[in-house]
Amino acid sequence: MATVTEPAGATDSGTRGAGGDEGLLRRSWFQALLVVVVLVVGYQLTRLAGSPPWASGFPGAIGNGFMAWLDGVYAWIVANRNDSPLFLYFFNYISVGLGSAVVLINQFLNGLTWLGVTVIGVVASWRVAGWRVALLVLATFAVFALTGLWNESMTTLSLIITSVFIALLFGIPLGILAGRSEGFYRAIRPVLDFMQIMPAFAYLLPFVLLFGIGNASAAVVTAVYALPPVVRITALGIREVNKGAIEAAASLGSTPGQILTKVQLPLAKRTILLGVNQTIMLAVSMVVIASVIGAGGLGDAIYQALSKINVGQAFQAGLAIVMLAIAMDRVTGAVGHGAHTPRIEPRYRMPLLGGMLAVAVAAAAVGRLFGLGGWPRDLSIRLDIPVNAADKAIESAIGPAAAALGSWTQSWILGPLDNLLSGSPWWLVTLAAAAFGLIFAGKRVALVSALCFLAIGLLGVWDNAMDTLSQVLVATVVTIALGVVVGVLMSRSDVFALVLRPVLDFMQTLPPFVYLIPAVALLGLGPVPALAAAVIFALPPVIRLVNDGIRGVPAGTVEAATSQGSTKWQLLTKVELPMARGSLLLAVNQGIILVLSMVVMGALVGAGALGNDVVLGLAQNELGLGIASGLAIVSLGLFLDRVTQGRRAPRA
Amino acid sequence: MPRFLRRSALLRLFAAGLALVMVSSCAVRTDQIARDPNTVRIAVNGWVGYEASAEVLANILREEMGYEVQLVRVDEQPSWQALDQGVMDVIVENWGHEDLFELYGPDGNGTAVDGGPNGNEGVIGWYVPAYLAEEIPEITTLEGLKANTDLFRTAQTGERGEFLAGAPGFVSQDQGMINAFDLDLEIVYAGSEAAQITEVRRRYANQEPVLFYFYDPQWFQEEVDLVKVDFPDYHEGCDANLDDVPCDYPVYDLNKIFRTGFVEEDDYAYRFLHNWKWTNSQQNEVAQMIADQGISPPEAAEIWVNANRDVWEKWLPEGYENRG
Repeated sequence: MATVTEPAGATDSGTRGAGGDEGLLRRSWFQALLVVVVLVVGYQLTRLAGSPPWASGFPGAIGNGFMAWLDGVYAWIVANRNDSPLFLYFFNYISVGLGSAVVLINQFLNGLTWLGVTVIGVVASWRVAGWRVALLVLATFAVFALTGLWNESMTTLSLIITSVFIALLFGIPLGILAGRSEGFYRAIRPVLDFMQIMPAFAYLLPFVLLFGIGNASAAVVTAVYALPPVVRITALGIREVNKGAIEAAASLGSTPGQILTKVQLPLAKRTILLGVNQTIMLAVSMVVIASVIGAGGLGDAIYQALSKINVGQAFQAGLAIVMLAIAMDRVTGAVGHGAHTPRIEPRYRMPLLGGMLAVAVAAAAVGRLFGLGGWPRDLSIRLDIPVNAADKAIESAIGPAAAALGSWTQSWILGPLDNLLSGSPWWLVTLAAAAFGLIFAGKRVALVSALCFLAIGLLGVWDNAMDTLSQVLVATVVTIALGVVVGVLMSRSDVFALVLRPVLDFMQTLPPFVYLIPAVALLGLGPVPALAAAVIFALPPVIRLVNDGIRGVPAGTVEAATSQGSTKWQLLTKVELPMARGSLLLAVNQGIILVLSMVVMGALVGAGALGNDVVLGLAQNELGLGIASGLAIVSLGLFLDRVTQGRRAPRA
Repeated sequence: MPRFLRRSALLRLFAAGLALVMVSSCAVRTDQIARDPNTVRIAVNGWVGYEASAEVLANILREEMGYEVQLVRVDEQPSWQALDQGVMDVIVENWGHEDLFELYGPDGNGTAVDGGPNGNEGVIGWYVPAYLAEEIPEITTLEGLKANTDLFRTAQTGERGEFLAGAPGFVSQDQGMINAFDLDLEIVYAGSEAAQITEVRRRYANQEPVLFYFYDPQWFQEEVDLVKVDFPDYHEGCDANLDDVPCDYPVYDLNKIFRTGFVEEDDYAYRFLHNWKWTNSQQNEVAQMIADQGISPPEAAEIWVNANRDVWEKWLPEGYENRG
């Protein structure tokens, strides 16, 4: 009985606390603590009562029905893929078109030979971004060639070109529409949220079903994954265009079309390019994940190396991805601010362009004349041997300690937390989620949170979802703790920041596949290595945001605090961290979403839970289970995102 | 509202155009995807033995017969889907999968054809390390295993023993066996074979107990000393109900699966793959080079091909040299 009344009490105190002036009760961390206490008490009472029927798990009938229905859909698609008009006239067009595009671009790049591709890349990046970036591009091509991964890199490049093209083809017009129409923007925002919260791994399955295995699905999945930022940022850019400029143009009799093409687009160009940059970066990271559904290229090279537990080879391919990502980021970034573009007088521009074209054609012709094709594999540098040696050395040095840490984390933190969440009655957990929503973000979010948990239950994957949730919570706490410490250190020392920045770039772009297997070797199979990988994956943005937040505190404020005799510790805890609150909240939010996406991928090393069902769904063609788990992941993501976005969310 | 009108007129035009395109154009099947001419597309499933076969075949197709070869890494079941969609030509090592053959074979969609045995014989089973079998000899029997499941408890499985399964895509009847023999075990999926081997390697080094799903031919069998647990032999139909399987895994005659269209084209590449057949030890020679000595798969295949011309020459179809 007590369990029935307590959560209601906690919710009440939350409401009162948010509105009134009751000191301790008003603090949200104290209210959150209360909710946790209620949950633990409820769990213990349930256990004492010997799991009575009113406290059992979520009834599974609806979820099972839903999964069975989806399995039916799957069977229908398999039987009708080559007969049904829906496929013959629609989906197959897309998959054939995109699949062919990837192959044709790849053939074109191969036709240019390595010499042609390198010359074109370097010359073009010099023209748009200056010689520093051109050198970086040259280095990137050198890495492709010297790691013996030239052909794989070209396949990846073709896939990225195709999917970024689709993403921009749809994204920029959508962004323009959203920028010009408030109603459209409101309608499209939840869809974009949904796309961004859903971990990439979870939406591979439906796309495979519609577009088949291989490059076509990979291109669609990558485009979908990379689409949201360009829509958002384009809309933002269009909105930010000075109202005065638009009015001036309108008063001169411009049509809406003229205003768009002559005023809004040119003025928003820089911002839109920033969106393009973000889209490309997301595409690069997704292309690796898409190797799970048969996309070729560098991702496939990593995946294959890992199947042989050859960390060194995986690292080589990972390095190629990192270089590709950094080069593409710098090129598009430089186009965005246009800072380093070489100044060339207008009258020389056309001749220069012609000259560049001539050089490119000449390079390709020379390449073809000598039958160069891809870079010869014999002329490669073996990075994998030292990397493997280093991996072995680390393993033997800290292996036993790490394994002990791994099993300690499992038995004392993850296990109990999972028991608490999946052992408590489902309605108590749902109420607790709603209470958290209320405490941190208000009534609407409380409702959303409760609905998210109900949806998870209805999908029939409650236990696994609670398992995933406990993993996400643990990994997030570790990420935030580490992120704040390192971020504060980074903000204190310019030298440290300078050293750390490339490391963060590297961590952020290195495909997580590369460090999943070494993590198993160190920490033992199970959720713990997946959590370690999730922490590595989510740390860089958290560190950056904390650093930016603290550095953004006005110097005057800091000086005032120091002159009044604050110690360094006081300065940090009373002035800087509170003032950087916005950045910190954003860091928590980003951290949680990234951790969630990675924990799902952790299923590849035995993290189990929802991720495992997604993998199982992909591998065993169990569409029902795969999609239900994918949707449950989205629900978890939505809950975590909304609660951590806080009260500012509706205005943002 | 002229703007609105204009927009809807545009929409109508677009719809009409789309309908026109659809009616006038032909239906598209996924096998019409552009591909490099003269290319054989081989699915590569996630274990090294398979990769060894695929790389050797690829090497001969490329170097001797002048084909381009794409090796595409996919899981077992999606590879069948890929044959069905026409984006892949052959699976070179298939383990059972009767259900998929029903779905895509001649009695189903008719998009996949059984290409006959590839000469390899596959054994799936439950394995324990040899040191464990020495310490507790009865552990390799059903009764002994049943009495000792507590040995395999881990932090994650708690009260029950752990049964370490491999990738979720692999052929499995483990839960059925656990039910039928009433074993106090919980299946823990390693999620991928790489993770499973890494974990077994770690425990092997520390001489810890571990009970896991494994198979042969598999290069890892050469690196560590494993003993297979004895279960009642497989007999026809004992695995009919996957929730209750009172027998061991069958011994698989591994076979090749072709895309129907690939067979119908009857190209030299098809005839070559049709002729190809080799033994477990030949596959292991290559697989070990790849996995143990860290030689890259294409190189390992090349070494084997250079040393065994007499073996693979018999696979070459007649008249392939005159291929245009």
